[in-house]
Amino acid sequence: MALLEIDDIHVFYDKIEALKGVSIAVDEKQIVTLVGANGAGKTTTLRAISGILHPRAGEIRLGGESLADLPPHEIAGMGVVQVPEGRRIFARLTVDENLQMGAFSRNDRRAIAEDKERMLALFPRLKERLKQVAGTLSGGEQQMVATARALMARPRILLMDEPSMGLSPVMVEHVFETIRAINQQGVTILLVEQNALMALGIADFGYVMESGRIVLTGRGQDLLEDENVQRAYLG
Amino acid sequence: MTDVVASRIGLPKLSSLARFTFVDVILWALRLAVVIVVVGGTIGTLLKGRYAAAQWFDLVMFGLTIGSVYALIALGYTMVYGVLRLINFAHGDITMTGAFAGYFLASSFDRSGLLDRSPILAMAGILALAIVTSTTIAVLTERIAYRPFRHVRGFAPLICAIGVSFFLEQTFRGLFGPSIRSYPDPKWQRAAIDVLGFSVPRVDIIVIALAVVAMLVLYVIIQRTKMGTAMRAVSEDTDAAAMMGVDVNKVVVFTFALGGAMAGIAGVFYAFVFKQVYFFMGFTPGIKAFGAAVLGGIGSVPGAMIGGFFLGLVESVGPALFLDGIGIPAPYQLRDLIAFTLLIMVLIFRPHGILGERMAKKRA
Ligand SMILES: Nc1ncnc2c1ncn2[C@@H]1O[C@H](COP(=O)(O)OP(=O)(O)OP(=O)(O)O)[C@@H](O)[C@H]1O
Ligand SMILES: [Mg+2]
Repeated sequence: MALLEIDDIHVFYDKIEALKGVSIAVDEKQIVTLVGANGAGKTTTLRAISGILHPRAGEIRLGGESLADLPPHEIAGMGVVQVPEGRRIFARLTVDENLQMGAFSRNDRRAIAEDKERMLALFPRLKERLKQVAGTLSGGEQQMVATARALMARPRILLMDEPSMGLSPVMVEHVFETIRAINQQGVTILLVEQNALMALGIADFGYVMESGRIVLTGRGQDLLEDENVQRAYLG
Repeated sequence: MTDVVASRIGLPKLSSLARFTFVDVILWALRLAVVIVVVGGTIGTLLKGRYAAAQWFDLVMFGLTIGSVYALIALGYTMVYGVLRLINFAHGDITMTGAFAGYFLASSFDRSGLLDRSPILAMAGILALAIVTSTTIAVLTERIAYRPFRHVRGFAPLICAIGVSFFLEQTFRGLFGPSIRSYPDPKWQRAAIDVLGFSVPRVDIIVIALAVVAMLVLYVIIQRTKMGTAMRAVSEDTDAAAMMGVDVNKVVVFTFALGGAMAGIAGVFYAFVFKQVYFFMGFTPGIKAFGAAVLGGIGSVPGAMIGGFFLGLVESVGPALFLDGIGIPAPYQLRDLIAFTLLIMVLIFRPHGILGERMAKKRA
């Protein structure tokens, strides 16, 4: 059984059906990527998983347990944590406070302090920025804050929505290295990306989305070599 | 949600362009009138020299006293707005409930003589009861009246808030009658004490000092505690906070509780100063404090404090300083006029308030 199962969900914005029956399975310890053009419904899928949007039909399960009707913070408490599109760090809070918010539902002070140290080891650049207001950081640093903040919640599965968006090629490289490192530490990852080439490159499994539907699935490497995918997404 | 709001605000652009000149003329006339009144009045008053230094000092002290009450109330508006983008129109009445609770305890302390025998103990009791009352009612209001409408778009939440305001007023009127009750006026409050060579009623000093302490405590809670940090996080981005595991409902309750506590303190102080308690007493300070919150930049905690003190000072010093000089008789009766003129000017010329702009810039 997969860790996260999305089973034929339909999600609406008022009368517009943004997801028309999407099914995705993410196995434990895998990196699964969801690629697709602008407006395909990738963000909508992640927002539905996090409980910000509620599917009108279909079900989302974590370890076999339904997440339906759970509020977002309880879903996060179960270990499904998101690095949202556009990062959405708390710009007026300090970096330290952003990390503290990631650990909001935890009470184990010592473990939280240890995790913070691990984050600073993973992103050494945040060390001297801890007391700085997060909105003053560069885009790459803000991505680090967003990722570290989510990891502070000790996720079982990390949902990442276009983490490389708007970053320099060097930072993009860094983001993908980080994703691999996080995954190697045992965190399952569902990665949404426009950068299909790099995403499929590190993914165990990939889904291609178009107009609210999954149109193609396969092992990351196979999709990279697929003619249709190459024509549509890899130029 | 913010996108939706932004696109809605963007709508009336064209129509305001068409009326540009007409509106412009009126606005400039308004600006000019205010400048004439303020500058001309100030020069006139100072030339006349009718007021002695001691009188100015009195006015300033009273401005700070009433300003600290406005500041305390304004904090409740601004915090709730920050977290929910809701104007809690019942907040003035929540202040009133605290004043009432404090009044009953103060009266019984007065009868038993405790109010005179141990003022500090009595005051602590009065404040504690007022805080508990206002906090409880604020939290219940949120739970019963606001939460079910939280995700409803349009005017429903606002109308609900106005409904709660009427409900509280009429409930207190029904329970305790429409008459104005006079608050106990112990000697130790009236006694004048010496500040910088001027004599000031002790009650002013008590109110200002305790209000400042309350605000400092609030500030530390918001800046240093986990719930306070969560409050700031939710104000910035509710969904992102929820996705990090922040229980938004808990934060909302916490916000209403803090605002309620400040309102309870404000209610007691308002009654200390004006010596009156009645069911409608929350209305005027409520509206003014809301204005003070807008003045400071709604959503901003330091802004609400600054806005409150500023409004208090202007409405206290303003009549003598601006109106006397241009020959208006009995300027003190126009105190509320000055306050509301200031608020309308803010809404027209600087709707994001004193600290509001910086906030908006940062968010972008
Ligand atoms: N708040 C909203 N209200 C109405 N429609 C929306 C809303 N958000 C997204 N949509 C629509 O839903 C569809 C899917 O959008 P979604 O944001 O999920 O796409 P996406 O794959 O994440 O795109 P991108 O690559 O641009 O981030 C689009 O057609 C979009 O216009
Ligand atoms: Mg998207």
